[in-house]
Amino acid sequence: MILIAWVFIDDLVDDWGQVEGAPEKLQTFFTEDLLPPDWSVLEAEEWSDGSLHKPNGDICDENFELFCSKAWTGMVVTIKMAFVATLVGFFFSIPLASLAATNMAPLPIAIPARVVLAGLRSLPSIIWALLFAIALGFGPLPGILAMTLYTIGYLGKLQYEAMEGVHNAPLESGMAMGLTHSEQLFHVVIPESSNHLLSQLLFMFEYNVRHGAVLGLVGAGGIGMYIDNYINPPFDYNKAFALLIVVFVVVVIIDLISMMIRSFVTEEGDVKRPKWWSVILPPSMAVEMYSESEEE
Amino acid sequence: MLKLLNRNDLLALNRIILRSHGVGCLVVENPPSRGGDNVQKLDSESITLRGLTVGYDEALVLDINKTIYPGDTIAILGASGIGKTTLMRTIAGLIRPLSGEIFHDYPRRGGIGYIPQRLGLVRHSSVRSNITLGARTRRSKWYPSWYPLDSSLKEDVDNAMKALKIEDIADEPVRILSGGQQRRVAIARTLVQRPRIILADEFLGELDKDNVKSIITATKKIVDEIGATLVLIEHHEERAIEIADRIWRIVDKKLIEEGDSNQ
Repeated sequence: MILIAWVFIDDLVDDWGQVEGAPEKLQTFFTEDLLPPDWSVLEAEEWSDGSLHKPNGDICDENFELFCSKAWTGMVVTIKMAFVATLVGFFFSIPLASLAATNMAPLPIAIPARVVLAGLRSLPSIIWALLFAIALGFGPLPGILAMTLYTIGYLGKLQYEAMEGVHNAPLESGMAMGLTHSEQLFHVVIPESSNHLLSQLLFMFEYNVRHGAVLGLVGAGGIGMYIDNYINPPFDYNKAFALLIVVFVVVVIIDLISMMIRSFVTEEGDVKRPKWWSVILPPSMAVEMYSESEEE
Repeated sequence: MLKLLNRNDLLALNRIILRSHGVGCLVVENPPSRGGDNVQKLDSESITLRGLTVGYDEALVLDINKTIYPGDTIAILGASGIGKTTLMRTIAGLIRPLSGEIFHDYPRRGGIGYIPQRLGLVRHSSVRSNITLGARTRRSKWYPSWYPLDSSLKEDVDNAMKALKIEDIADEPVRILSGGQQRRVAIARTLVQRPRIILADEFLGELDKDNVKSIITATKKIVDEIGATLVLIEHHEERAIEIADRIWRIVDKKLIEEGDSNQ
């Protein structure tokens, strides 16, 4: 397999000479353009008369200057956009996914449903955003619509695969009992795959927040719009880098929240977790340390 | 009048009905109502298996010709992998027979209660939600799936939990329950459904004697009350003889009836 991969990459890359000097070029870019990140993006805009303003020009009357900064206001818009898109996308993707899952619907229904979902996710959200920006103009609305459509396609695929992983026994009991498709969906499949569905929903929210940074490139609003401003002339890369760090921090926070929420539906709650040394140390040493800690 | 007839008379009567339909299939357009306190045993045959061959790619049990009467308790015995579960799944309508036919007049919704080997419970839902699912089949299929049930059905759910002594764990998720408790939940769910036939695949499993006794007592009491037919797969022969009044044994791809086990 590795050999095949090597043959493919050798076929695709014509000029291996372009690798030459790459680390130096990157080093220059990092040291001269990106680093240090310019944290002024966490401050309100100061006008010539000394007053503080929000990015839209309103006077900053918040208790903390951070709340008037580009990073905060941009991130809040992006999170709102991602929240709406994820939620609306989820409500549409669940029924579609239930029609696409082969253990819930016959193939003549499952295949068209899969085609619809594949169609929605085969256009990247940035292309959807471009189409909506052409139709509706710039702003958060085309961004929300783009994210929603992409969410339906992407989340729908993850969901029907999770649904197909549900044990047969409860589904068969339901089928024998004569439960309807929606009863099976609401009362059997959703509870049984709740861990996966919840994790996918939270992942999709995180994905949409990250993607908010990209959608700004086509004028879809949010933090991406500011990043787009900074990576265009006059090239404030260190400000863009600071905003990307903000996005990263938000993604990490979402991941931690996701872990907390999912703990309500996973079966790991009462399981004794392994100690750190059982993961890092060789087995013999880990066992020794474990027995010592048990004695304590 | 039909209540005065014995089984042979009923069988003969049914044959006449079948012939008169010409297609060999007994169809009752408006089946007698289930549920409530006035449930009555049907005076027609429960279920007829005619020339039934079951299996997947390969036939496991050949040419079954049997009739299951209302109120019967039948135990299916046989070695592992011989086709007991396949036969039960075929009767439940989950897989197509390789040949032959199954005749019954059960309503598609709620007429059959099936307890698979792995119980088929929704592990992440509470005991109450699982049992409510059984009660839900007593409402029309157009009843919105997100609507809560009305108070009479909720009362039935509570009564079923009381009968099986699981009311204390009503709000616990099924996944944290012991094997015995899970079995009680599965039975309560099927009983509150008030099906015409209960198909239970090794539902007593490896339970201890006391648990088996109390579950059988509770089950038989409610099965008698609702007038359902009970077909179960059992590995323990003595237990099967104790519970059932008819024993079906699968040997060499044939289904043999051993007659009334209480004789």
